[in-house]
Amino acid sequence: MKVVTLWLDGLWDRNPGLIQLLGLCPLLAVSNTLENAIGLGLATLFVLVLSNGSISLIRNLVDDAIRLPVFVLVIAALTTCAELLVQAFDYPLYQSLGIFLPLIVTNCLILGRAEALARREPLFISTMDGLAQGLGFFLILIILGTIREWASETLILAALPPGAFIALGLLVALHQVIQSKVKHLRARVITNPKERRVRTTGDIS
Amino acid sequence: MTLRLASFGLIASLFVGVIYVITKPLILESKEEARIAELYALAEPLLSDGTIQTPISKELPSDAPTSLVRPLLITPIVDTTGQIGAVIPFRSTEGYSGTIQLLIALDKNQKIVGLRAIDHRETPGLGDKIDTQKTDWILKFNGLSYQDLSPNEWAVKKDGGRFDSFTGATITPRAIVEALRDTMSYLNTHPELLETSQ
Repeated sequence: MKVVTLWLDGLWDRNPGLIQLLGLCPLLAVSNTLENAIGLGLATLFVLVLSNGSISLIRNLVDDAIRLPVFVLVIAALTTCAELLVQAFDYPLYQSLGIFLPLIVTNCLILGRAEALARREPLFISTMDGLAQGLGFFLILIILGTIREWASETLILAALPPGAFIALGLLVALHQVIQSKVKHLRARVITNPKERRVRTTGDIS
Repeated sequence: MTLRLASFGLIASLFVGVIYVITKPLILESKEEARIAELYALAEPLLSDGTIQTPISKELPSDAPTSLVRPLLITPIVDTTGQIGAVIPFRSTEGYSGTIQLLIALDKNQKIVGLRAIDHRETPGLGDKIDTQKTDWILKFNGLSYQDLSPNEWAVKKDGGRFDSFTGATITPRAIVEALRDTMSYLNTHPELLETSQ
Protein backbone atom coordinates (compact mmCIF):
# COMPACT_ATOMS: atom_id res chain seq x y z
CA MET A 1 0.00 0.00 0.00
CA LYS A 2 2.77 2.35 0.97
CA VAL A 3 4.58 1.61 -2.29
CA VAL A 4 1.44 2.43 -4.28
CA THR A 5 1.23 5.78 -2.50
CA LEU A 6 4.89 6.42 -3.25
CA TRP A 7 4.34 5.82 -6.95
CA LEU A 8 1.18 7.94 -7.03
CA ASP A 9 3.06 10.73 -5.25
CA GLY A 10 6.06 10.63 -7.55
CA LEU A 11 4.19 10.40 -10.81
CA TRP A 12 1.19 12.56 -10.06
CA ASP A 13 0.07 13.75 -6.62
CA ARG A 14 3.35 15.30 -5.57
CA ASN A 15 5.23 15.23 -8.85
CA PRO A 16 8.65 16.86 -8.36
CA GLY A 17 8.32 18.93 -11.53
CA LEU A 18 4.72 20.05 -11.17
CA ILE A 19 3.95 20.24 -7.44
CA GLN A 20 7.15 20.27 -5.42
CA LEU A 21 8.83 22.36 -8.16
CA LEU A 22 12.21 20.95 -7.22
CA GLY A 23 15.14 20.80 -9.60
CA LEU A 24 13.80 23.61 -11.76
CA CYS A 25 17.19 24.77 -13.02
CA PRO A 26 17.99 21.62 -15.03
CA LEU A 27 14.30 21.08 -15.82
CA LEU A 28 14.06 24.46 -17.55
CA ALA A 29 17.54 24.63 -18.98
CA VAL A 30 17.91 21.19 -20.50
CA SER A 31 14.39 20.62 -21.83
CA ASN A 32 15.12 22.50 -25.09
CA THR A 33 15.40 19.25 -27.03
CA LEU A 34 13.96 15.82 -26.40
CA GLU A 35 17.37 14.14 -26.60
CA ASN A 36 18.87 16.38 -23.90
CA ALA A 37 15.76 15.91 -21.76
CA ILE A 38 16.01 12.13 -21.94
CA GLY A 39 19.74 12.19 -21.19
CA LEU A 40 19.50 14.43 -18.16
CA GLY A 41 16.33 12.68 -16.98
CA LEU A 42 18.06 9.31 -16.97
CA ALA A 43 21.20 10.66 -15.29
CA THR A 44 19.09 12.28 -12.55
CA LEU A 45 17.06 9.09 -12.12
CA PHE A 46 20.28 7.10 -11.76
CA VAL A 47 21.69 9.42 -9.11
CA LEU A 48 18.38 9.72 -7.24
CA VAL A 49 17.73 5.96 -6.99
CA LEU A 50 21.28 5.18 -5.87
CA SER A 51 21.49 8.11 -3.46
CA ASN A 52 18.16 7.21 -1.86
CA GLY A 53 19.32 3.59 -1.62
CA SER A 54 22.73 4.29 -0.15
CA ILE A 55 21.46 6.94 2.27
CA SER A 56 18.85 4.50 3.48
CA LEU A 57 21.57 1.86 4.02
CA ILE A 58 23.74 4.17 6.12
CA ARG A 59 20.83 5.89 7.89
CA ASN A 60 21.64 4.35 11.28
CA LEU A 61 25.32 5.27 11.12
CA VAL A 62 24.80 8.97 10.54
CA ASP A 63 23.74 11.31 13.31
CA ASP A 64 22.50 14.86 12.92
CA ALA A 65 25.92 16.48 13.27
CA ILE A 66 27.34 14.92 10.09
CA ARG A 67 24.11 14.20 8.24
CA LEU A 68 24.32 16.95 5.65
CA PRO A 69 28.00 16.55 4.75
CA VAL A 70 27.55 12.81 4.37
CA PHE A 71 24.46 13.17 2.17
CA VAL A 72 26.15 15.75 -0.04
CA LEU A 73 29.20 13.50 -0.24
CA VAL A 74 27.08 10.54 -1.35
CA ILE A 75 25.25 12.62 -3.96
CA ALA A 76 28.46 14.21 -5.25
CA ALA A 77 30.19 10.83 -5.55
CA LEU A 78 27.24 9.36 -7.45
CA THR A 79 27.01 12.39 -9.74
CA THR A 80 30.70 12.12 -10.55
CA CYS A 81 30.12 8.48 -11.47
CA ALA A 82 27.13 9.42 -13.64
CA GLU A 83 29.27 12.03 -15.38
CA LEU A 84 32.07 9.51 -16.03
CA LEU A 85 29.59 6.93 -17.34
CA VAL A 86 27.85 9.35 -19.71
CA GLN A 87 31.27 10.48 -20.92
CA ALA A 88 32.27 6.88 -21.56
CA PHE A 89 29.12 5.67 -23.27
CA ASP A 90 27.59 8.75 -24.93
CA TYR A 91 30.22 11.41 -25.51
CA PRO A 92 28.06 13.65 -27.77
CA LEU A 93 25.39 13.72 -25.04
CA TYR A 94 28.06 14.60 -22.49
CA GLN A 95 29.07 17.51 -24.70
CA SER A 96 25.54 18.79 -25.21
CA LEU A 97 24.56 18.52 -21.52
CA GLY A 98 27.68 20.45 -20.56
CA ILE A 99 27.66 21.95 -17.09
CA PHE A 100 24.19 20.58 -16.26
CA LEU A 101 25.50 17.06 -15.77
CA PRO A 102 27.81 17.93 -12.82
CA LEU A 103 25.09 20.31 -11.58
CA ILE A 104 22.97 17.27 -10.70
CA VAL A 105 24.79 17.54 -7.35
CA THR A 106 22.82 20.68 -6.61
CA ASN A 107 19.47 19.33 -7.78
CA CYS A 108 17.39 19.93 -4.66
CA LEU A 109 15.07 17.08 -5.56
CA ILE A 110 17.84 14.63 -4.67
CA LEU A 111 18.86 16.13 -1.33
CA GLY A 112 15.16 16.76 -0.70
CA ARG A 113 14.28 13.08 -1.00
CA ALA A 114 17.26 12.10 1.15
CA GLU A 115 16.14 14.47 3.90
CA ALA A 116 12.41 13.87 3.62
CA LEU A 117 12.35 10.12 3.27
CA ALA A 118 15.50 8.07 2.68
CA ARG A 119 17.07 8.88 6.04
CA ARG A 120 14.14 7.29 7.87
CA GLU A 121 12.93 4.49 5.64
CA PRO A 122 14.33 1.03 4.83
CA LEU A 123 16.14 0.24 1.58
CA PHE A 124 13.17 -1.02 -0.43
CA ILE A 125 10.89 1.91 0.32
CA SER A 126 13.68 4.43 -0.29
CA THR A 127 14.66 2.89 -3.60
CA MET A 128 11.03 2.78 -4.72
CA ASP A 129 10.67 6.43 -3.76
CA GLY A 130 13.80 7.29 -5.72
CA LEU A 131 12.44 5.46 -8.75
CA ALA A 132 9.00 7.05 -8.49
CA GLN A 133 10.26 10.61 -7.96
CA GLY A 134 12.99 10.18 -10.56
CA LEU A 135 10.50 8.88 -13.12
CA GLY A 136 8.11 11.69 -12.27
CA PHE A 137 10.90 14.17 -12.96
CA PHE A 138 11.93 12.27 -16.09
CA LEU A 139 8.37 12.34 -17.46
CA ILE A 140 8.03 16.08 -17.00
CA LEU A 141 11.42 16.59 -18.66
CA ILE A 142 10.31 14.49 -21.63
CA ILE A 143 6.94 16.24 -21.92
CA LEU A 144 8.61 19.66 -21.75
CA GLY A 145 11.32 18.56 -24.17
CA THR A 146 8.75 17.27 -26.68
CA ILE A 147 6.57 20.37 -26.43
CA ARG A 148 9.49 22.75 -26.77
CA GLU A 149 11.18 20.91 -29.59
CA TRP A 150 7.88 20.72 -31.47
CA ALA A 151 6.84 24.31 -30.78
CA SER A 152 10.24 25.80 -31.54
CA GLU A 153 9.82 24.91 -35.21
CA THR A 154 7.23 27.64 -35.54
CA LEU A 155 7.95 29.73 -32.45
CA ILE A 156 11.60 30.41 -31.60
CA LEU A 157 10.52 31.56 -28.11
CA ALA A 158 9.82 27.95 -27.17
CA ALA A 159 13.50 27.09 -27.48
CA LEU A 160 14.61 30.01 -25.29
CA PRO A 161 14.57 30.17 -21.45
CA PRO A 162 11.31 32.21 -21.24
CA GLY A 163 9.63 29.57 -23.36
CA ALA A 164 10.63 26.96 -20.80
CA PHE A 165 8.97 28.96 -18.00
CA ILE A 166 5.79 29.46 -20.01
CA ALA A 167 5.56 25.80 -21.02
CA LEU A 168 6.15 24.62 -17.45
CA GLY A 169 3.61 27.15 -16.15
CA LEU A 170 0.98 25.77 -18.52
CA LEU A 171 1.75 22.21 -17.42
CA VAL A 172 1.49 23.17 -13.73
CA ALA A 173 -1.86 24.86 -14.43
CA LEU A 174 -3.14 21.84 -16.31
CA HIS A 175 -2.07 19.58 -13.45
CA GLN A 176 -3.91 21.79 -10.96
CA VAL A 177 -7.10 21.71 -12.99
CA ILE A 178 -7.07 17.92 -13.30
CA GLN A 179 -6.03 17.52 -9.68
CA SER A 180 -8.95 19.59 -8.36
CA LYS A 181 -11.39 17.48 -10.39
CA VAL A 182 -9.77 14.30 -9.08
CA LYS A 183 -9.96 15.57 -5.52
CA HIS A 184 -13.70 16.09 -5.81
CA LEU A 185 -14.12 12.55 -7.02
CA ARG A 186 -11.90 11.15 -4.28
CA ALA A 187 -13.71 13.09 -1.59
CA ARG A 188 -16.93 11.41 -2.63
CA VAL A 189 -15.47 7.92 -2.65
CA ILE A 190 -13.20 7.98 0.40
CA THR A 191 -14.77 9.05 3.65
CA ASN A 192 -11.65 8.68 5.81
CA PRO A 193 -9.34 11.69 5.47
CA LYS A 194 -5.85 10.79 4.37
CA GLU A 195 -3.08 10.56 6.92
CA ARG A 196 -1.15 13.84 7.04
CA ARG A 197 2.34 13.76 5.70
CA VAL A 198 5.17 16.24 5.90
CA ARG A 199 5.37 18.49 2.88
CA THR A 200 8.62 19.81 1.50
CA THR A 201 6.78 22.75 -0.02
CA GLY A 202 3.95 24.98 1.10
CA ASP A 203 0.34 23.88 1.19
CA ILE A 204 -1.20 23.89 -2.23
CA SER A 205 -4.94 23.92 -2.51
CA MET B 1 31.92 11.41 14.57
CA THR B 2 34.79 13.11 12.80
CA LEU B 3 36.35 9.72 12.26
CA ARG B 4 33.09 8.41 10.89
CA LEU B 5 32.76 11.36 8.52
CA ALA B 6 36.33 10.79 7.36
CA SER B 7 35.68 7.13 6.69
CA PHE B 8 32.58 7.98 4.66
CA GLY B 9 34.80 10.32 2.66
CA LEU B 10 37.29 7.54 2.11
CA ILE B 11 34.64 5.05 0.99
CA ALA B 12 33.10 7.56 -1.40
CA SER B 13 36.52 8.40 -2.89
CA LEU B 14 37.31 4.71 -3.34
CA PHE B 15 33.98 4.23 -5.08
CA VAL B 16 34.56 7.14 -7.46
CA GLY B 17 38.13 5.91 -7.99
CA VAL B 18 36.96 2.47 -9.08
CA ILE B 19 34.44 3.91 -11.55
CA TYR B 20 37.12 6.29 -12.83
CA VAL B 21 39.57 3.47 -13.50
CA ILE B 22 36.90 1.39 -15.22
CA THR B 23 35.60 4.19 -17.46
CA LYS B 24 38.95 5.81 -18.24
CA PRO B 25 39.84 3.75 -21.35
CA LEU B 26 36.27 4.09 -22.65
CA ILE B 27 36.32 7.85 -22.16
CA LEU B 28 39.64 8.18 -23.97
CA GLU B 29 38.23 6.12 -26.83
CA SER B 30 35.07 8.26 -27.09
CA LYS B 31 37.14 11.42 -26.98
CA GLU B 32 39.36 10.14 -29.77
CA GLU B 33 36.31 9.24 -31.87
CA ALA B 34 34.80 12.67 -31.29
CA ARG B 35 38.14 14.28 -32.16
CA ILE B 36 38.39 12.42 -35.46
CA ALA B 37 34.79 13.23 -36.40
CA GLU B 38 35.53 16.86 -35.58
CA LEU B 39 38.69 16.73 -37.71
CA TYR B 40 36.76 15.52 -40.73
CA ALA B 41 34.10 18.23 -40.34
CA LEU B 42 36.78 20.86 -39.88
CA ALA B 43 39.01 20.04 -42.85
CA GLU B 44 36.11 19.21 -45.17
CA PRO B 45 36.93 21.82 -47.88
CA LEU B 46 40.40 20.29 -48.25
CA LEU B 47 39.17 16.71 -48.32
CA SER B 48 37.72 16.70 -51.83
CA ASP B 49 41.14 15.66 -53.07
CA GLY B 50 43.16 15.46 -49.85
CA THR B 51 43.24 12.81 -47.15
CA ILE B 52 43.89 13.09 -43.44
CA GLN B 53 47.16 11.53 -42.32
CA THR B 54 48.19 10.27 -38.90
CA PRO B 55 49.20 13.10 -36.59
CA ILE B 56 52.87 13.97 -36.11
CA SER B 57 54.15 15.54 -32.95
CA LYS B 58 56.74 18.30 -33.12
CA GLU B 59 58.75 20.08 -30.45
CA LEU B 60 58.03 23.80 -30.31
CA PRO B 61 60.75 26.47 -30.17
CA SER B 62 60.95 28.21 -26.80
CA ASP B 63 59.55 31.48 -28.16
CA ALA B 64 56.25 29.87 -29.21
CA PRO B 65 53.13 31.48 -27.69
CA THR B 66 51.32 29.75 -24.83
CA SER B 67 48.31 29.27 -27.08
CA LEU B 68 50.17 26.42 -28.78
CA VAL B 69 50.05 23.10 -27.00
CA ARG B 70 53.43 21.42 -26.37
CA PRO B 71 54.39 19.27 -28.16
CA LEU B 72 52.52 20.45 -31.25
CA LEU B 73 50.38 17.70 -32.74
CA ILE B 74 50.08 18.30 -36.48
CA THR B 75 47.59 16.38 -38.56
CA PRO B 76 48.73 16.78 -42.17
CA ILE B 77 46.34 16.74 -45.10
CA VAL B 78 47.98 15.56 -48.31
CA ASP B 79 47.01 14.93 -51.91
CA THR B 80 49.05 13.58 -54.80
CA THR B 81 51.06 16.80 -55.02
CA GLY B 82 52.10 16.71 -51.37
CA GLN B 83 50.89 18.49 -48.28
CA ILE B 84 47.95 20.82 -48.92
CA GLY B 85 47.09 21.75 -45.36
CA ALA B 86 47.22 20.87 -41.70
CA VAL B 87 45.04 20.69 -38.63
CA ILE B 88 46.53 21.75 -35.31
CA PRO B 89 45.13 22.18 -31.84
CA PHE B 90 45.53 25.37 -29.86
CA ARG B 91 44.00 26.74 -26.69
CA SER B 92 43.07 29.77 -24.70
CA THR B 93 43.49 29.97 -20.96
CA GLU B 94 41.81 33.39 -20.84
CA GLY B 95 38.23 32.08 -21.06
CA TYR B 96 35.62 32.61 -18.39
CA SER B 97 36.07 29.21 -16.83
CA GLY B 98 38.87 26.81 -17.59
CA THR B 99 40.82 26.23 -20.77
CA ILE B 100 39.12 26.46 -24.15
CA GLN B 101 40.49 23.81 -26.49
CA LEU B 102 40.33 24.68 -30.17
CA LEU B 103 41.18 23.07 -33.47
CA ILE B 104 42.16 24.94 -36.58
CA ALA B 105 42.53 23.72 -40.15
CA LEU B 106 44.83 25.77 -42.40
CA ASP B 107 45.59 25.34 -46.07
CA LYS B 108 49.14 25.57 -47.39
CA ASN B 109 48.90 29.37 -47.65
CA GLN B 110 47.85 29.47 -43.97
CA LYS B 111 44.34 30.52 -44.81
CA ILE B 112 41.79 29.41 -42.21
CA VAL B 113 39.74 26.55 -43.58
CA GLY B 114 37.95 25.71 -40.37
CA LEU B 115 37.97 26.68 -36.71
CA ARG B 116 36.14 24.91 -33.87
CA ALA B 117 36.05 25.00 -30.09
CA ILE B 118 36.20 21.34 -29.18
CA ASP B 119 36.21 21.49 -25.40
CA HIS B 120 35.18 24.33 -23.10
CA ARG B 121 33.24 25.10 -19.95
CA GLU B 122 31.97 28.56 -20.87
CA THR B 123 28.66 29.77 -19.40
CA PRO B 124 25.60 28.23 -21.09
CA GLY B 125 23.59 30.89 -22.92
CA LEU B 126 26.47 33.39 -22.92
CA GLY B 127 29.99 32.21 -23.65
CA ASP B 128 28.92 28.92 -25.15
CA LYS B 129 27.86 30.71 -28.33
CA ILE B 130 31.32 29.83 -29.60
CA ASP B 131 29.90 26.35 -30.10
CA THR B 132 28.74 25.57 -33.63
CA GLN B 133 25.71 23.90 -32.07
CA LYS B 134 24.63 27.28 -30.71
CA THR B 135 25.69 29.93 -33.22
CA ASP B 136 27.79 30.33 -36.37
CA TRP B 137 30.11 32.84 -34.73
CA ILE B 138 33.24 30.74 -34.99
CA LEU B 139 32.67 30.01 -38.69
CA LYS B 140 33.19 33.68 -39.56
CA PHE B 141 36.95 33.21 -39.36
CA ASN B 142 36.92 30.89 -42.37
CA GLY B 143 38.88 32.21 -45.33
CA LEU B 144 41.04 34.62 -43.34
CA SER B 145 44.82 34.72 -43.41
CA TYR B 146 46.98 36.49 -40.87
CA GLN B 147 48.09 39.12 -43.40
CA ASP B 148 44.48 39.97 -44.33
CA LEU B 149 44.17 42.12 -41.20
CA SER B 150 46.52 44.44 -39.40
CA PRO B 151 47.64 43.16 -35.96
CA ASN B 152 45.27 45.67 -34.28
CA GLU B 153 42.33 44.32 -36.20
CA TRP B 154 42.89 40.85 -34.76
CA ALA B 155 40.73 41.72 -31.75
CA VAL B 156 37.07 41.92 -30.78
CA LYS B 157 35.20 45.09 -31.78
CA LYS B 158 35.13 46.26 -28.18
CA ASP B 159 38.95 46.36 -28.25
CA GLY B 160 39.01 48.17 -31.59
CA GLY B 161 39.27 45.04 -33.68
CA ARG B 162 37.29 43.38 -36.40
CA PHE B 163 35.37 40.59 -34.67
CA ASP B 164 31.95 40.57 -33.01
CA SER B 165 31.53 39.57 -29.39
CA PHE B 166 28.31 38.45 -27.69
CA THR B 167 25.99 40.63 -25.66
CA GLY B 168 26.93 40.08 -22.04
CA ALA B 169 29.94 37.95 -22.84
CA THR B 170 33.07 39.60 -24.19
CA ILE B 171 35.58 37.50 -22.27
CA THR B 172 35.05 34.31 -24.24
CA PRO B 173 35.27 35.76 -27.79
CA ARG B 174 38.21 37.93 -26.71
CA ALA B 175 39.99 34.86 -25.35
CA ILE B 176 39.53 33.02 -28.62
CA VAL B 177 40.42 35.91 -30.91
CA GLU B 178 43.59 36.64 -28.94
CA ALA B 179 44.70 33.01 -28.87
CA LEU B 180 43.96 32.81 -32.59
CA ARG B 181 45.97 35.99 -33.26
CA ASP B 182 48.98 34.69 -31.30
CA THR B 183 48.82 31.36 -33.07
CA MET B 184 48.35 32.78 -36.56
CA SER B 185 51.05 35.40 -36.18
CA TYR B 186 53.54 32.86 -34.88
CA LEU B 187 52.79 30.39 -37.66
CA ASN B 188 53.06 33.24 -40.17
CA THR B 189 56.68 33.78 -39.18
CA HIS B 190 57.39 30.06 -38.68
CA PRO B 191 55.66 28.38 -41.64
CA GLU B 192 58.05 25.44 -41.45
CA LEU B 193 56.31 24.32 -38.26
CA LEU B 194 53.34 23.06 -40.22
CA GLU B 195 55.38 21.23 -42.79
CA THR B 196 55.66 17.52 -42.39
CA SER B 197 57.69 15.32 -44.67
CA GLN B 198 55.41 12.54 -45.75
